[in-house]
Amino acid sequence: MAAHYQASLSGVFRRRLRAIVGERGLLSARADRTVYECDGYTLERSVPELVVLPETTEQVAGVVRAAAQAGVPFVPRGAGTGLSGGCLPAPAPLMVCVSRMRRIRALNLANRRAVVEAGVVNAAVSRAVQAAGLQYVPDPSSQNACTIGGNVAENSGGPHTLKYGVTTNHLLGVELVLPDGEVMELGDAIEDTLGYDLTGVACGSEGTFGIVTAATLRLEPLPEGVTTMLAVFETVADATTTVSRIIASGIVPAALEMMDRTIVEAVEAAYHFGFPTDAGAILIVEIDGPAAGLPALAARVTEICRASGARSVRIAADEAERAALWKSRKRAFGAVGRLAPSYCTQDGVVPRTRLPEILARIEEIGARHRLRIGNVFHAGDGNIHPIILYDERDRDQVVRVLEAGREILAACVALGGSVTGEHGIGVEKMRELGLLFGGDDLALMRRVRAVFDPAGRANPGKIFPTPGGCVEQRAPRRQAAV
Amino acid sequence: MSGLIGDSAVVTDPAARGALAIAEIVPELVVRPGCRDEVAACVADTAARGGALVPLGLGVHRGLGHPPVRYDVALVTTRLARVVDYTPADMTVTVESGVTLAALQELLATEGQWLPLDPPLPALTTVGGLIAADLGGPLRASQGRVRDFVIGIAVVTAEGHAARAGGRVVKNVAGYDLMKLFTGSLGTLAVVTEATFKVRPQPAATRCLALSCRDATGALALAERFTADGLAALSTTVVLELGAAASRSVLLCLVGGVEEDIAAQRARVLALAQRTGAELTLDAAGADPAAQACVEPVRDFVRTAPGNVVVRAATLPRRAGALAAAICGAVAGEAGRCLLDPRAGGVTLALESAGPAHTIAALRSVTAAHGARLVVERWPAALADTIEVWSPLPAALPLMRRMKAALDPRGTLAPGRFVGRL
Repeated sequence: MAAHYQASLSGVFRRRLRAIVGERGLLSARADRTVYECDGYTLERSVPELVVLPETTEQVAGVVRAAAQAGVPFVPRGAGTGLSGGCLPAPAPLMVCVSRMRRIRALNLANRRAVVEAGVVNAAVSRAVQAAGLQYVPDPSSQNACTIGGNVAENSGGPHTLKYGVTTNHLLGVELVLPDGEVMELGDAIEDTLGYDLTGVACGSEGTFGIVTAATLRLEPLPEGVTTMLAVFETVADATTTVSRIIASGIVPAALEMMDRTIVEAVEAAYHFGFPTDAGAILIVEIDGPAAGLPALAARVTEICRASGARSVRIAADEAERAALWKSRKRAFGAVGRLAPSYCTQDGVVPRTRLPEILARIEEIGARHRLRIGNVFHAGDGNIHPIILYDERDRDQVVRVLEAGREILAACVALGGSVTGEHGIGVEKMRELGLLFGGDDLALMRRVRAVFDPAGRANPGKIFPTPGGCVEQRAPRRQAAV
Repeated sequence: MSGLIGDSAVVTDPAARGALAIAEIVPELVVRPGCRDEVAACVADTAARGGALVPLGLGVHRGLGHPPVRYDVALVTTRLARVVDYTPADMTVTVESGVTLAALQELLATEGQWLPLDPPLPALTTVGGLIAADLGGPLRASQGRVRDFVIGIAVVTAEGHAARAGGRVVKNVAGYDLMKLFTGSLGTLAVVTEATFKVRPQPAATRCLALSCRDATGALALAERFTADGLAALSTTVVLELGAAASRSVLLCLVGGVEEDIAAQRARVLALAQRTGAELTLDAAGADPAAQACVEPVRDFVRTAPGNVVVRAATLPRRAGALAAAICGAVAGEAGRCLLDPRAGGVTLALESAGPAHTIAALRSVTAAHGARLVVERWPAALADTIEVWSPLPAALPLMRRMKAALDPRGTLAPGRFVGRL
């Protein structure tokens, strides 16, 4: 099914695209195209032959139709903050970047809906509606850069998905340009699904169904009250046990995030929030909801933390302190650069009760491979992000990093989890997908893909292992925010 | 079939077959496979014979959908009734598709948890039916829908192959989200054999409040105020009586949470009621029999309302009041009842008599004029051949048709039942 495109793009084809998107919508000089060689997953790179930057759905459809007629495979791209190589160009020669489609088409505040184009930045949606007391809930750490189109492709998460769910839980419809150039409306602003939930299947399909050009989003009211707490623990085990106890007590925090000592040290050195650098681990617990019940809930969370061995529990005094705390968490990855020349972030999931086990396994794997591994993750969801520190100039370390990453993912699967909670399969985890699904499962998924993309021209060489591919292998390097 | 799953699991008795008729079409066989492999064998055998089957649980929701174009076998999943995995602290549960929702809720309640979905007739609704028919109830505006809770699924495909998607963890983007594809597909793409749900802690307590309004206009105005106020109720339903009883209209509201939350929300409800002159007729704990007597008929309404015309309309939340008023206007003079869920944008109407022949056509034109959708849940027998259950047809119907053709090319699974007669 996957297209094997060999020839380079013809002059006729290039001229045709230029007629659609204009000179400024086309990048053909190598220097301009190099920035598109990878996303936040930098282990594999390939420079696309041609990058187009359409500004309207009609232009996207025109480009895709031209590509269909010429038999050219294409890869859609948003802001390129993905972490699994989902918009690695190869083996497609043509990249269609939606980053110039930045219009918010409609805001229906009374009904809590927004229709936005694919290139709109995630945080811009919430900014546009916050004066009306509304928000767009999914908040990946890259929210100031990543696009809604990319969020839909990856079914992105973020710290607040514990209570509120991920992108798919807030997505009511998409405008999808199918690989033959036809523009299809899936879903709409009305809540009830009519017919098959194709919006739901398209969400997280990593660009393999075509190009999402716009999305209909559900907005949520800002919570009446928010309380953010910082609990400090002597050991990682105490912190993870606390996570399980909070969940088991019947409290669903809005967010429940953990950072271990390695990360806390780096974050404190970078942002000076006032984290104790001698602590084994810290938890950020955020609860929200009707204001009346919050003090009682906060008291219960504090009690659980203390009973589980917390050294201290501090409640953010005001919005400024709360913002500083979240900034430290969301920029944790930026701080890691202080610890080592290079780092590689993994994304695995385990049932929340298995967190102590997976963290012990990660420690063991790190020790065996002589690698330092820090942990900062969405503890409430069981979604781990071990950060493996190393020096990319040392080929032997690189080999050990890759091996350790694979072992961590295999351990997640063995504990009943998954190989990716929010970063996607992309090219990074095509092999690992086989740890979760057998031939019949993958065959069914391929059949579903073929409904949208019978010729396999939309983002080929992703998700499903395919033979071939012309990818320049490099060392894993610094990755973007998670 | 007997050779595949045993004599006792194959029923040919006319009464048993007749009990699972759909629009008066009686299946030749009722099969009751006991495990996933037996389901696969039944599907493969039916497909090999060029026949068609309809997957069913206890069959109480089988009135939804077009009559199948072919219906040889009723595949009943009730023997798939095992709890596969329940780890309360993970807040996930995996069950086979024949487990009833009531049984599942009972299990979860032992740990203070629930699946916050409240479809009609939970004791007679299997997990498979819940998913296939995408059933919901008054909780959906505050808690979400089936699609928000299914995190893993096992199915048998139209060829009789077992396949799965998702997993048992709450956050997972490995592979396509086929849970969404099968949710609400009415058994036309695959037979669901097992599902994993994420579950939630039950609210610490709930309280049920009923407010009696002078008339429908008063009740709709009160509902509008509730929505505008942003009241975080678990559910809000306006019950409008039609015909002779039209003077009685009630707003039913369920609030939940810790004590402090309930007290605060209750005070807000009462303040809103007072301003509109509504009268508080019920103020009881959610578990109180008096509260149950109000909540259950509303939850079950679409199935248990008398009469042979039942429709559900859906629109944007703030347009639902006007839609309800227009729908009631379109059937003025008829006896019946209309339910409005203002936050979900849902309006459900049941008429005691069929009304004039053009009733459904009139309701369709009213909903179309409001840019809303209509699902005809029950219709007079005379309309059986022409009824369009879902309208308007979705823009993506051609893609849906391709999906059906790709996953069930021989039309083995509930052929003709779905939107656009897929």
